[in-house]
Amino acid sequence: MEQEREWLQQALRGDTEAFGLLVQAYERPVYNLAYRMLGNAAEAEDAAQETFLRAYTKLATYQPERKFVNWLLSIASHYCIDRLRKSQRAPQVSLEDPLPPQWLTSDAPRPDQEVSKKQSRDLVRKMLDRLPDVYRAAVVLRYWYGLSYSEIAETMGTTESAIKSRLHRARRMLAQDLQSARA
Amino acid sequence: MDDRMECNQQDRMTEWMSLALDHLLGETEERQLQHHLDACPQCQEEWALMQEASTLFEQSMMVGPPLGFAIRVERRLEAKTRQRRRLFGGIAVLTGSLSLAGVALAALALMVLGGVLWSKSGAFAEIQQSTRVVSTLASGMGLVGKGASLFLKDILLSYGGPVLLLSGIGLIALVGIWIWVYSRQPGNSHKNGVL
Repeated sequence: MEQEREWLQQALRGDTEAFGLLVQAYERPVYNLAYRMLGNAAEAEDAAQETFLRAYTKLATYQPERKFVNWLLSIASHYCIDRLRKSQRAPQVSLEDPLPPQWLTSDAPRPDQEVSKKQSRDLVRKMLDRLPDVYRAAVVLRYWYGLSYSEIAETMGTTESAIKSRLHRARRMLAQDLQSARA
Repeated sequence: MDDRMECNQQDRMTEWMSLALDHLLGETEERQLQHHLDACPQCQEEWALMQEASTLFEQSMMVGPPLGFAIRVERRLEAKTRQRRRLFGGIAVLTGSLSLAGVALAALALMVLGGVLWSKSGAFAEIQQSTRVVSTLASGMGLVGKGASLFLKDILLSYGGPVLLLSGIGLIALVGIWIWVYSRQPGNSHKNGVL
């Protein structure tokens, strides 16, 4: 934390090398969020880079009482949602596309037991792609970052009750998704 | 899934299931949920699916960017900084030129106004009588003043107020642009940030 504070102060004085160290420290969480939101590596790379550029130009507005990584995630999630809305991109996966079938029969083994990692990754990506943008962001921040409802609300600029509702609806959609794939 | 609609508590129960997955459901509600699940196969099925999806997501690893990501960000940042410097440099040159032109015009206007007022005051004639050299100089100045006043008379005498007001606004705007350019210049933008 002390090191991070020092890098931040140097970056605030225009030291791009210090900012580069902050990029190295947080590239993984920012990239992961962009990847989960946008669904492909090339767009995730571009969005993650743009997130850091925006962070650099807005660094003076960062409030130190807030976790720096959460501030970065906030920029990244807003940017990704804007990007998806501007491109008005349809889900990359059609709702008619079947989900990977291997573990979707009622007597099939659980995914953590048998299904290959690649199949699990594909399944997660497809399930996420089917969710509306704001639900997807809430799910990603909850599962990959373990943020509390209040932290997700702060990151997404909304209320805790809205997050509670989004997670509830998102999980219901995910359950229905699995159900229809089985049927 | 269709017969799930028969459950009239489904909305409330799925909300509780979501909270239970995050360990945020109170003890009383948790007991009520369990009690309901024991009696409702539709909600049981949904609960199993929600748990399954939740497990899948929890086990999913965080993915990182390809190697060299930080270097690529730094390069992009440097390119953007150079671009901004060029832009701000252009604005600085433009506003600087305008400022100089404004100052020169203001000085000329003051000289013309001074000449006109002086020639009208009568002091001009007295000086003309006292010495020939000064008289020649004064005549010259008077001629310049008269010639220039023909050009600027209407503006300065008829519209003096609005001209002064617009000049003032223009100067304030130029100073504002200069301050903005300086504060937005890469390296200066964060100096006021507090950490």
